[in-house]
Amino acid sequence: MPSVTKGAPLDRIMRPVHRWVWGDVDRRLRKLLTFADVETDGGRDILRAAEVTPDPLLRRLYLEHAIDELRHGELFRERGAALVRARRTWRKVLFAGNPLPGGHGLDDLSIEGQPDYRLLAFLHVAEKAAAGRFTIYRELVDDDPETRAIFEQILRDEVFHMNYTYTQLTRVSPQGYRRHVWHARAKRLWNRYLRIAAAMAGLFGGVALTAMYFVLLPPFVWFARRAERREPTGWTSISRNGNQSPRSQY
Amino acid sequence: MKILGISAHYHDSAAALVVDGVPVAAVQEERLSRRKNDATFPISAIEWCLDRAGVDPSDLDAVVFYERSMLKFDRILTCALRAFPHSWRSFPNAIKNSLGEKVWVRGIITSHLGVPRRKIFFTDHHASHAAAALFSAPTRRAAILTADGVGEWATLTVGRGERRPDGAAEMTLQREIRFPHSLGMLYSTFTAYLGFAINEDEYKVMGLAAYGRPTMIEQVRTLIRSTPDGAFVLAPEYFEFQTTASRSYSSKFVDLFGPPRNPYDDIDLDSPEGRRFADCAASVQRVLEDVLVDIARQLRRETSLPDLCFGGGVALNGLANARILAESGFERVFVPPAPGDAGCALGAALYADRIYFGNPDRDVPDHPFWGPSVDAQELARASREDSHPVEELDDVPLMEAVADELAAGRIVGWMEGACEFGPRALGHRSILAAPHSREIRDRINRDIKRREEFRPFAPVVPAEAADRFFDLPPGGHRLGRFMSGVFPVRPEWRGRLAGVTHVDGSARVQVLERDMAPRLHALLEAYGRRTGIPVLLNTSFNVAGEPIVTRALEGYSTFRRCGIDLLVAGPTVVMKRGASPDRSLKEGVAWSSEGVARSGAV
Repeated sequence: MPSVTKGAPLDRIMRPVHRWVWGDVDRRLRKLLTFADVETDGGRDILRAAEVTPDPLLRRLYLEHAIDELRHGELFRERGAALVRARRTWRKVLFAGNPLPGGHGLDDLSIEGQPDYRLLAFLHVAEKAAAGRFTIYRELVDDDPETRAIFEQILRDEVFHMNYTYTQLTRVSPQGYRRHVWHARAKRLWNRYLRIAAAMAGLFGGVALTAMYFVLLPPFVWFARRAERREPTGWTSISRNGNQSPRSQY
Repeated sequence: MKILGISAHYHDSAAALVVDGVPVAAVQEERLSRRKNDATFPISAIEWCLDRAGVDPSDLDAVVFYERSMLKFDRILTCALRAFPHSWRSFPNAIKNSLGEKVWVRGIITSHLGVPRRKIFFTDHHASHAAAALFSAPTRRAAILTADGVGEWATLTVGRGERRPDGAAEMTLQREIRFPHSLGMLYSTFTAYLGFAINEDEYKVMGLAAYGRPTMIEQVRTLIRSTPDGAFVLAPEYFEFQTTASRSYSSKFVDLFGPPRNPYDDIDLDSPEGRRFADCAASVQRVLEDVLVDIARQLRRETSLPDLCFGGGVALNGLANARILAESGFERVFVPPAPGDAGCALGAALYADRIYFGNPDRDVPDHPFWGPSVDAQELARASREDSHPVEELDDVPLMEAVADELAAGRIVGWMEGACEFGPRALGHRSILAAPHSREIRDRINRDIKRREEFRPFAPVVPAEAADRFFDLPPGGHRLGRFMSGVFPVRPEWRGRLAGVTHVDGSARVQVLERDMAPRLHALLEAYGRRTGIPVLLNTSFNVAGEPIVTRALEGYSTFRRCGIDLLVAGPTVVMKRGASPDRSLKEGVAWSSEGVARSGAV
């Protein structure tokens, strides 16, 4: 594997965290299933790019890229599913969610109306980061040959993706390709900040709302339950026909 | 009057434009955003509808939202209070969800479209369903039944409507069953229990039901009891959908039916576990049908009307629709092509037009093709650029050529005119194949749709030949128009229609009138001349997890990456060039690690 896929400095620093994640089977399978969704979503975005680009060569390359990503999604899903099947406590494992909005959250790609150079730069930076991180993951799953084989296979594709995106970027924007790559990096950083900020806001909001739930709601619970007890079962006559304002949201 | 209808924020958002009482455009957001079941505010769909009609937002007389969002919020809050303290986990998310966007509909519409607030209207969720069913049906007077998971508070309503010859229209919903007592939620709970995605995979439960026996009816009847007035109640201790968003069924439910299915396990119908799941599906399906038939029968007795308009997500259940037709006493059952929430966009606009503004009722064209049209030239250009063999043919030779290919066992991607509004491919965005063998069905499942083996494919047949192959009751042609009913394949044809005959001998047949899709009708006739059987397998033109294709290039990209042999868009025919084209691109496009390194090491 080319040396460019040795992993970003930040990922190398975070290696103990990655080891903690991949060292546990439940966390590992959750990660694999998350990757499955992310790769599939990414594949669909790139597929969209293939459908809207006016450039025939890019259309073919995007299509190949999308097919790869969708296949990666399948590989991750099948491996995750195999691990789920081997676990007795699959319900607990599957229902524990990830607090960070991702996938179709703030990392959403905007394809329509975007010039190809912007997408190519974004894809190049994203593929390179993914390849670096997958290199580290591959080393951390030495005890799991099937999962390791998936990372090996995907890494081979990622090298192609990194290269064609860069080559095509220099073709479609020979003057500004470096600037586009730096811009894509800055955007990626900004999106990462937004993700963390949104997750933090969500966390604080959740804590505040939970506190409100236990402090403010109880007095109204009695009324709500009394109203429920008084509700007739079965059919309820609809009396509001004709006298409800068409402009009312109530 | 120009009225825009909008449905959004739960699942499958959509927009529809009604001009002078007649729809001119309607499309689901997912068809344009390419995200399946896209529930976001349908700005692309709105823009497309307005563009299609050449209407500026400032020209709109009204924008109608398909439900009363604050009333829905009221239900969410009330349910949280009633379930206190068990709702503490779901409460923050529910509030964030609602206050984040859903309750600010008026502001969202104003900011996106710039229309003044006085032009923004709201309808009841079930009134939108009812209007979509009533005002699009070719009937003058009809009883109305709507059923879904939940709207604001209602989960099922009954009423009646009339479209008088003088243009006056009337629609009255007389009574309702209220949340949490919901047939839709009961079915969705089993969908989740059987390891499928709720609000999406309910039709898998219906497909699975045919493999099972309804041996658990008593258990299901424990969950849903009839009330003396002919309605029903759910036993709340078996459900959790009213208290949490993470699970629909309770531990008591699991005690009653056994462990739920792991979504990642295949269903092995030869194993006791697989048969248990199939029996569960068969049992809930039977109970759903029984309850609906009872309610429809009661409605028929009360109204004495021969026609029933049935809307809401539950109306997508073709088995139940067929039983309502056969057993309730109604002579005709009208289910619109988009009975679910997407169809509410059209229903809300029609309701506002006829009821709020009292405009004269007009007949709505009886077809589902209200979406964007396919551009055959776009397909021809892309195919030529990629060196695929392309032909442009007149209608007659095209039909003959495609029929030859179908008879030779090829699978055809078929795009024609405007795309369908609603979840079903009814002949304008379809994958077509010969219906005769299970092998081709398995091939489509394996190479194209990538879906479970137990799921059947639907046939399409010209109306004039339908009774020869399918055992259609009186009114069956109407229900089959939009693929809304499941009917028996005649026993003598089951062997030769094995690709579209489900394990119980039934099929969700589309009965095609020539006027609705003349080119597909001509293709069926051409195919019939070759094989003696003018029937084709017709499934939606998409692969698993993706919306049905809309534009020619979406059909083309789907064609390129799955096992479709031939792609047709209008007069353009594209053949697949060899196997898996462009794999050589990986070798052909030069790359070097130096090139990557130049872009800066990660």
